[in-house]
Amino acid sequence: MSQLALQHYLAVGAIMFAIGLIGFMTRRNLIVMFLCTELMFQGVGINLIAFGHFHGNLSGQAFVIFLLVIAAAEASLALGLIVLLFRQRNTLDADAWRELKG
Amino acid sequence: MTVPMVARFLTTASVDPAGLIAQMTTGPGSVAPITPIVVLALCIVAGIGTVLLLPTRRETSIRKIGGVVLALAGLVFAGLLARSQAGVGAYFWIFSGIALTGAVRVVTHPRPVYSALYFVMTVLASAGLFILLWAEFMAAALVLIYAGAILVTYVFVIMLAASTTGAKAAAVVSEYDNVSREPIFASAIGFALMGVLLFVIFDKSVPLTPRGDVSPVPAYPVVGGTQRLGAYLYQDQVVSLELAGVILTLAMVGAIVIARRKVWQGGVQTGGTGGEQITAPMTPVDDNPHSIPVYGTDNPRQKAWPET
Repeated sequence: MSQLALQHYLAVGAIMFAIGLIGFMTRRNLIVMFLCTELMFQGVGINLIAFGHFHGNLSGQAFVIFLLVIAAAEASLALGLIVLLFRQRNTLDADAWRELKG
Repeated sequence: MTVPMVARFLTTASVDPAGLIAQMTTGPGSVAPITPIVVLALCIVAGIGTVLLLPTRRETSIRKIGGVVLALAGLVFAGLLARSQAGVGAYFWIFSGIALTGAVRVVTHPRPVYSALYFVMTVLASAGLFILLWAEFMAAALVLIYAGAILVTYVFVIMLAASTTGAKAAAVVSEYDNVSREPIFASAIGFALMGVLLFVIFDKSVPLTPRGDVSPVPAYPVVGGTQRLGAYLYQDQVVSLELAGVILTLAMVGAIVIARRKVWQGGVQTGGTGGEQITAPMTPVDDNPHSIPVYGTDNPRQKAWPET
């Protein structure tokens, strides 16, 4: 895998991370906000796999396994919290909690 | 046909002979320059397209224009990248195009269910990219865990939220889905980050000298990449693997505890539709884990399986 191909994969990962960041900042639905964090996880995963392949060892793939673990734990906890918040306000709007701004 | 064979087929079938020749003539170290000005201009154009494409109360035609602008910026960037004649083939362009299109649609689609489905598309395309990078086990794990488990959970929560707000409310796109928050600032920040990252990747990158062998076909198809990965995980990363198991168990316990917590309905209803309240029985006050309430009954003390 040449240097140029590595840069291509890194570019894909970076673009996906930035798109996820934009989505996290703009969307107001709690569920879609957490989907966008999963999108950022995807971008980081592509980066890790590309670096691991480039270096010819397995550390990148091992990192992505732990990234999947963290993503699964984050998704379960976040969805539990979202269900709890939804039962309190009966809406998924993040702006329903704007009094947290103080 | 096993997965490594498929991966080898993909990588060998996607070798572009013209690209190889050009790479040999120009040398592997000569990066076709993507100047920072071009990256900056493309990021600005794509940012304007994203601002137009994000869901607002505007006409759908303007959103279509934004989509076209964004797609054009992506195509120009892809063309600049393809000019550099790297060792990536058609499959890379197909998979990354699908993945990035799906990612943009996740962010910009007003309906959450469609966002989740487009995210499945992104995950599948990313799995394709992983296979191109000889990580076939990670591709399978990605499809199983992300597209299989996490996304199903997301879709369940979306359906749960949509069903309690009423069928009539679910037919129209709700206001908080239809109007995005600060699209201009968010796009500016996001595309500034993207521009900086691309600048670092393409301009500031020192040529890495990879350790180990860097042949495009790895030296382990005899044993299989998955076996090597398993040996690596269980020989070198044992403690991390056990910690991952502990984290998963903790997350499961935490999710159950959080989702079963009692909710007081006496709070101020801001932003709610003022419709029906949730009349499901709450978690009983005593901490007996056997007294799980039965949803749909009036008696919160009724148990699913009474201990006779």
